[in-house]
Amino acid sequence: MGVTLTYENSLVRLFRWIYAGVERTIFMGMKFTFPGRFVSPLGFLGMITFVLFIILGITGALLMLWYEPILDRAWNSVKNINDTIPYGFAMRNIHYHASNAMVMVALLHMYYQYFSGRYKIRNEILWVTGIILGVMTILEAFTGYDIIFSERAELAISIAASLTNSIPIMGPQMREAFFGGGFHDFILRFYTFHVFMLPIALLGLMVVHFPRFLVFDVPMVMAISGAIMITGGVFPVGLGLPFKPDVPPGITVPEWYLTGLYAFLRTMYDKFVTGVAWPGLFIGALLIVPFVDKYKKFSWKDRPLITAVGITSLAQIIVTTYWGFYIDPNTNKALLERLVIDPIFFYLVMILLVPMSFGFTYMMIKLAKHSEANAKLQPKKGGKGSINLSQKWLYALFVVLLAFQVYLNIAAYYAILQGMKNYSLFITGIIMLVFAGMFHLYRYGRALAKAPPPKPTPPPAAKPAPAAPKPAPATPAAEKPLAAPPTAGAAKVGSEQTPQLSQSQQQKHAADGKTATTGPEAKPQTTTASLDGPDKGPKAA
Amino acid sequence: MAQTPPTGGKVSRRDFLKLMAAAGTVMTFAPFVDWGKFLPNPSGNIGKKVKAELPDGTVANVKTFDINSSQVLIYPKSDDPALNKESFRTWQFIRLPKELGGDKNDASAFRVYSMVCLHLWCLWKYWPQDGRKRGECPCHGSMYDPMTGKAFAGPASLQGPPSNVLPKLDLEMDSNGDLWVLPPTWSPNANGVVGFGRYLNV
Repeated sequence: MGVTLTYENSLVRLFRWIYAGVERTIFMGMKFTFPGRFVSPLGFLGMITFVLFIILGITGALLMLWYEPILDRAWNSVKNINDTIPYGFAMRNIHYHASNAMVMVALLHMYYQYFSGRYKIRNEILWVTGIILGVMTILEAFTGYDIIFSERAELAISIAASLTNSIPIMGPQMREAFFGGGFHDFILRFYTFHVFMLPIALLGLMVVHFPRFLVFDVPMVMAISGAIMITGGVFPVGLGLPFKPDVPPGITVPEWYLTGLYAFLRTMYDKFVTGVAWPGLFIGALLIVPFVDKYKKFSWKDRPLITAVGITSLAQIIVTTYWGFYIDPNTNKALLERLVIDPIFFYLVMILLVPMSFGFTYMMIKLAKHSEANAKLQPKKGGKGSINLSQKWLYALFVVLLAFQVYLNIAAYYAILQGMKNYSLFITGIIMLVFAGMFHLYRYGRALAKAPPPKPTPPPAAKPAPAAPKPAPATPAAEKPLAAPPTAGAAKVGSEQTPQLSQSQQQKHAADGKTATTGPEAKPQTTTASLDGPDKGPKAA
Repeated sequence: MAQTPPTGGKVSRRDFLKLMAAAGTVMTFAPFVDWGKFLPNPSGNIGKKVKAELPDGTVANVKTFDINSSQVLIYPKSDDPALNKESFRTWQFIRLPKELGGDKNDASAFRVYSMVCLHLWCLWKYWPQDGRKRGECPCHGSMYDPMTGKAFAGPASLQGPPSNVLPKLDLEMDSNGDLWVLPPTWSPNANGVVGFGRYLNV
């Protein structure tokens, strides 16, 4: 958009017309930022989650072409996808690993928002919808691995059904209503939930959950996609054995995001308490947290109690998740003996862990604050190290990366010809990563091309005048067209301050709730700011 | 709520309208409550008794069915062979051993329990050998008493009621000695819920 289009053909005019039309839609109410340089991905984990959701939607839709949600065909159809359909292996692996990545990134996103304190002060709705989205994401992933109908899937279905059954009063009726009357119904209905009901609900909630400022960092999105493919190549997901009701199954554990819950279930204590009430309590606590957090400040260091609660919850999640995975390797013992976790031992550890992790965190925060105060007395060391590339080296790197991509393309093609599906997927992942690197180089080069004017005047004596970088015409100009018409949504956020603030300050304002004390100095950084947040504090978290 | 002070216990015009609006909303959506019946699978609702058909196509008869033996019964039987493979439709049709009254020539000598183990839904079956004479699940070793359907060993026995007693079907004998399966009520307090269980005291 920054480029002036000297000659307009009808195609350009069509694009302009479409662009002007889109301006009137809700889509433009959200401000997309394409960062002009590297930004910490922690700030836009939510966007990454959404991108993963899109990847899952695309691969999932393609998998639907071959999957058959029928009792005696489900497993065979997945095997067919995996073994005989061209690129079915790649589709399934991307779908599987992206689902895990989505749960993981959503969790990280939640904890980052939690520790950075952005969930409160007008952001409560975002937080609450986010928690519901997170729970539904896990349900989505859960229903996904159930419809393979392998041994493990059957175990998962039976546990889900027995938990529903265990709900007082309405349990069996609810099971009947939502799950149906047998395996045939279960598979078909889980499929319906997985491919339609839950995604639709997720999308609807996402509309509410989206903040108005979004960062779309192409290199990071590419890198994540590449990482998923590489993981798929290195750890291809298996099929498991098909479920046969008269064959004793091996020991299976659920996916990692449910092993925590599984650990509770394995104590053989009352199903409703362990399987429904405990997780419900955890989710409920997360839902009310922004209303309980009464600290005026945002940084995790200034909210020791809330931070300590967060760390405690993390410790509990890690311990239960591991415990759910752990099965006594001694095969001489009876199966049940290996599976059942002693409830007294288990709950004792859980209870002891709470004051330990809580106290430890609290102490660490105090220490951190102390050392921070000390550090302020010390003279500052030069800012974070940065790599500076000259234009020549940029070109050279570009050529090398392109050559590497050509080589990788050939290698991936040969790999698929020779039936090395893993290897092909792995290489494709690297291609995505290389593309991410190239894109980053490109924007780095563009930034170099735009930046120079104020730079090459370093007379050692005088301090560089702070006024010099102010004009910085290029970067904000690139954003101008987006900011043009004040949309209906724009009026909602900043109420009284909004009109006199520049767009960048609105972003900051939305991000942290502080008023615009920073002044116009913030302006040159607009392209990178937005969701990344103004204070450096949370980055350490 | 109302701006005007209540006069002589009369409802204000505004409150009356609100009440009407609320009542109208309730009335509008009331019929849809029953639409919830769309969700459960109605194939389990069987209105009349059916003959107990064994895998070989014959009907179980008290005169020919061996004492202390068992067969698989598909109930409710469907025209779709894929559905007949459904675990939730497989039942263990047992004639009790002699010492438990299996030699009587009436329906009381028989038991029909859901084969879906209450623990993790494998299919258990009846073992008639001396010293066993019980239902055993191949997966995690739950054992069931053929007389009542109650789990007495293994993980299923550790589950709280109703998840420690197998769902059952009631039988009836006609004058030929043929056995009929009576229409069941799928509730923990009656015939039980397959894969969930049944309260024994009923």
